[in-house]
Amino acid sequence: MSGRGRATTLVASAFAAVMACTVASCSSDAADDNSVLIAIPVGLTGANSVVAPGVVQASELAADQINADGGILGGRQVKLKIYDDQSGANGALKAFTAAVREDNVVGIVGMETTAARNAGQPIAAETNTPYVYTSGYEGKACAQNLFINGSTPEQSVNPLIAYIDENMGAKTWAIVASDYAYGRDTAAFFEQAVKDSGGEVVSTQFNPVDSGDWTSALQNIRSAEPDVVVSILAAGTPSVTLSKQWKQSGLAIPHVNLGMDEDTAKTIGADAAGVLYPSMYFTGNDSPENKEFMQALQDKFGDDAHIPNQMTVPQYVGVHLLAEAIDAAGSTDPAAVLAELPNVAFEGPSGPVQINKQHHAELNYYLGEVKQDGTTEVVADFGLVDPGEQCPELQSAP
Amino acid sequence: MNAGLVLDGLTTGGLFFIVTLGLLIVFGMMKLINFAHGAFLALGAYTCVLATSHGLPVWLPILLAPVVTGVVAAVVEPIVLRRLYGRPMDTLLATWGLNMIIIQLITLYFGRGTQPVKTVDLGAVDVFGTTYSLYRLLFIPVAVALGLSVALVLNKTRLGLVGRAVIMDENLAQISGINNTVVRFATFVFGSALAGLAGALLTPIASVDPNIGVPWLFAAFMISLLVGISPAALGVACVLLGMLQVLLASLWDPTIATLAVPVAVVLILRFFPQGFVKGARVS
Repeated sequence: MSGRGRATTLVASAFAAVMACTVASCSSDAADDNSVLIAIPVGLTGANSVVAPGVVQASELAADQINADGGILGGRQVKLKIYDDQSGANGALKAFTAAVREDNVVGIVGMETTAARNAGQPIAAETNTPYVYTSGYEGKACAQNLFINGSTPEQSVNPLIAYIDENMGAKTWAIVASDYAYGRDTAAFFEQAVKDSGGEVVSTQFNPVDSGDWTSALQNIRSAEPDVVVSILAAGTPSVTLSKQWKQSGLAIPHVNLGMDEDTAKTIGADAAGVLYPSMYFTGNDSPENKEFMQALQDKFGDDAHIPNQMTVPQYVGVHLLAEAIDAAGSTDPAAVLAELPNVAFEGPSGPVQINKQHHAELNYYLGEVKQDGTTEVVADFGLVDPGEQCPELQSAP
Repeated sequence: MNAGLVLDGLTTGGLFFIVTLGLLIVFGMMKLINFAHGAFLALGAYTCVLATSHGLPVWLPILLAPVVTGVVAAVVEPIVLRRLYGRPMDTLLATWGLNMIIIQLITLYFGRGTQPVKTVDLGAVDVFGTTYSLYRLLFIPVAVALGLSVALVLNKTRLGLVGRAVIMDENLAQISGINNTVVRFATFVFGSALAGLAGALLTPIASVDPNIGVPWLFAAFMISLLVGISPAALGVACVLLGMLQVLLASLWDPTIATLAVPVAVVLILRFFPQGFVKGARVS
């Protein structure tokens, strides 16, 4: 064989080897090392990109703790794989397809927008893959494989309206919401709840989820002259842009933002001062579990640690709950794991959580107010709040 | 309320102008849509983040941002763009690649989250019977000042004369002794510096994350299609489109309003292929 011929053969065989390797997945992506693979779909890009890093940190912390404690199913390690759902339906389709159909994950724990959840859940449902959804949302999402420790409007909205009626005497309300399923449904819920409490909604506006421009929304709020404004936004970026533009506009109306969280508030800083928001978790919670959790977060991530909030803590809890359910089931069989999910409870930084109320969970709710330096002060404790009748056809006995 | 609506339209137009001017200059002079414009916007904004986090007063980064962006552009132009002269498709791709690289570098260093940045706090003033954000009002004089400066330089200075010669006919300009390479270098640096300035001006109203430039790149690109290199034509286009977008958003629906700029541009170009410019003159 001539020199050139041999070189060509070498290159060809090397190329073939690489191709074979790629096709047969020689990387350690698939769970071929006895680990239990759990998918973490999250909006690394898109509207949620601002809160995603904290969500990933919380998930990783939970997995680390479970593994340090000896793993599950007799010593098997929990392994996480992060998928970008791009905060929306298109990305979720790709993420869930990869997770469920290609990587055959044992379960999914997701903090996602409703748009992403609605697109991804049918794919998980095909194989009955357990899907723990950890984000606050508009309620009434029900499926055999879907368990939700995120809050429902019954929990975030009802006690809030009662508080505002009592303490601020608000008669007229304006709503501004992100224009997608969560925004629309929660706004409708809110309008009804305000009417039921004797108030009047004088303006309801919707802004595209990815839009950073609130100019017209603020102008319309100014002319509607409400007593209080409620914003119902997708987590992360919309709160940043709205707060900044609100500040520049000089509006002096009380503002409740259901999409705000402690981490984003701190980042926005003074521009968010005075904003009120309800949450099932604040870093100021005085429990030993919370102190341990915050210390562990600090130890693992140091200066890069994101402030935990109502997006990241349920995610942390969700990973623990799923792992415990798999362990209790004694196998990764979906039906067995799903049967155990209503039975397991986890005592975490936000208190004890058990997803046993028609695939939803009771949560303790608080109201926080952002201070000038961006930190949040808890101004009210609403106590343990029932999620309401979410999925009456899915009775899971505790 | 009506005064507020008009002010919304004018200030939106002013912001469109500030963001688009840099792209327009590069387009007019080099016949190149600089897709890295969005990345330079981001660079300007992140310069503010770094500057204010080191305790510099809030107005200083606004002057610093165009300098920093200009320097980056000055480094990039000879390395990336000069070699691709005469290959417009390749240059386009190169600027797109540049956009991706710069944004990924920003993401690598800062992360995807929004960055805290100290900004001016000007509050609102009572004007024309309504209360309006002073910061937004400033977009109008800033846009006018930038437009006038560029127009003055183009029409009243030797530098501008050289520039207009290159715009009209590059080959003739070269034959008459003008160094095209230098002109294109200076144009790219200046256009990018303007993008940096725009990015800095965005920080009080936008989320400073790696994607801060994306919606603006899109709008600037569409508006540039309508206009030659005339700052006056750009001004008219921006005010009209700004008013249109605001009216649609306030009176109809914000989602429909996002269509305002692209649909308007397409319609205008359909019926007036020259856009807002009479003939191909620089005016």
